[in-house]
Amino acid sequence: MAGLLAGCGSNVKFQAPTIPAPLLEKIPISVGLRMPENFEHFVHEEKVYGREQWSIDLGRSNAALFEQLFAHMFADVTVVGPEDDPQLLPLHALIEPSIEAFEFSTPDQSNTEAFAVWIRYRLRVYDQSGDLVSNWPVSAYGKSQTTAMGGTDALQRAAVLAMRDAAALVIMKFDEVTHISALAEKSAAASGSPVELPADETQDTEVQTTALEGPQDEAG
Amino acid sequence: MKQVKQTVKAKFLILVTLTSAACVTSTVQDARTSVTGINEGESVVIMAKSYHLGNETEAKYIRCIEDNLARGRRGLRVIPHAEFVDSLFPWFEPRTAPAETKNLAKLMARPGVADKIAEHGIRYIIWLDGDTERVAGGGSLSCAAGPGGGGCFGFAWWQKDADYDAAVWDLQGLESAGTVSTDVSGTSFMPALVIPLPFIARTQAKACKTLADQLHSFIVQDETI
Repeated sequence: MAGLLAGCGSNVKFQAPTIPAPLLEKIPISVGLRMPENFEHFVHEEKVYGREQWSIDLGRSNAALFEQLFAHMFADVTVVGPEDDPQLLPLHALIEPSIEAFEFSTPDQSNTEAFAVWIRYRLRVYDQSGDLVSNWPVSAYGKSQTTAMGGTDALQRAAVLAMRDAAALVIMKFDEVTHISALAEKSAAASGSPVELPADETQDTEVQTTALEGPQDEAG
Repeated sequence: MKQVKQTVKAKFLILVTLTSAACVTSTVQDARTSVTGINEGESVVIMAKSYHLGNETEAKYIRCIEDNLARGRRGLRVIPHAEFVDSLFPWFEPRTAPAETKNLAKLMARPGVADKIAEHGIRYIIWLDGDTERVAGGGSLSCAAGPGGGGCFGFAWWQKDADYDAAVWDLQGLESAGTVSTDVSGTSFMPALVIPLPFIARTQAKACKTLADQLHSFIVQDETI
């Protein structure tokens, strides 16, 4: 990680994290993974009240997180690009992660020696017919104490811990919340029908109900 | 030249003596719930209780306990906690780590977990809880510099408390072996008459040494007791 301090602001550029290979049994289905454009280059800018301007460049950390995570979780993962037509791909489901919030606190703000990072992702799961079957907000938290290496190292460490926290929650609860493994049975029953997945990643959430946190599935 | 070296050495010794002369008091106690012991090839891992539960044990304190337990001819085999957590991902993350021994059986039944723990030879998981805090301070000390030189004048003091608990889980019986706790209080002083003279209480270091020594005794206890 490179952290540059300039004037009264802090510019921090992160390297993509590496998620350890998890101890789990893969879910035996084929999924598509379509990520939003900002996952390739996500920058969070914030002025800490009365203090300094922060610019935190996560780079493609979010993309790397979900690529690694789902590759570990599913038997087959296809990254669906913006030019790809998901209807032509033999998928049981399409997963669309997005980031809804990135927040952090500095030691000055928390009156501790730690940086803390909160990230809220949203995972939308579509079945073969293109219907939204799950809409799950994933809130993650990481905290790291400042070291002799400086505050930007601690901030990056806190962000990586938050991403690992999100990964842990997804591994533990994804199938329970989204019932994605059942989609393979559903598609087998409807075998022969073409895969119809939404072409527009911005297709939104008419089925969304409440803004619940944690493992609740908002698509019901 | 030799005289200069001796003078420097003497000044260094005086400084070390002064800085170690601050006031530190400590207590340590353990509560055993089962017989312990450790065989050749078995290891321990030091973990911090989850910060999701409000714990703030410092990373450097964990490393200090690891180093002290592994040190010496009779040192224990210690698996670095970061290596342990990565190899068992995601089951020892702050969100997912077992909070009670009754959850261990379910954890060990997860794919690959028991094999990985056996591969590391881990007999005990030691969960640390606690931190070092500055609890009081006072006095006034100011420094100034000018063309003719500089200096400091005044007196400052501060007190730190280091309270740590270590819960020892025995993975052989999937049960708690007991707890070890330490409570260290240290007061540091810094009088200054031109030159500040620090009398630093090494509170956290003392809490580390005290707890590590007691943990070592707790774990290697003769099984006949």
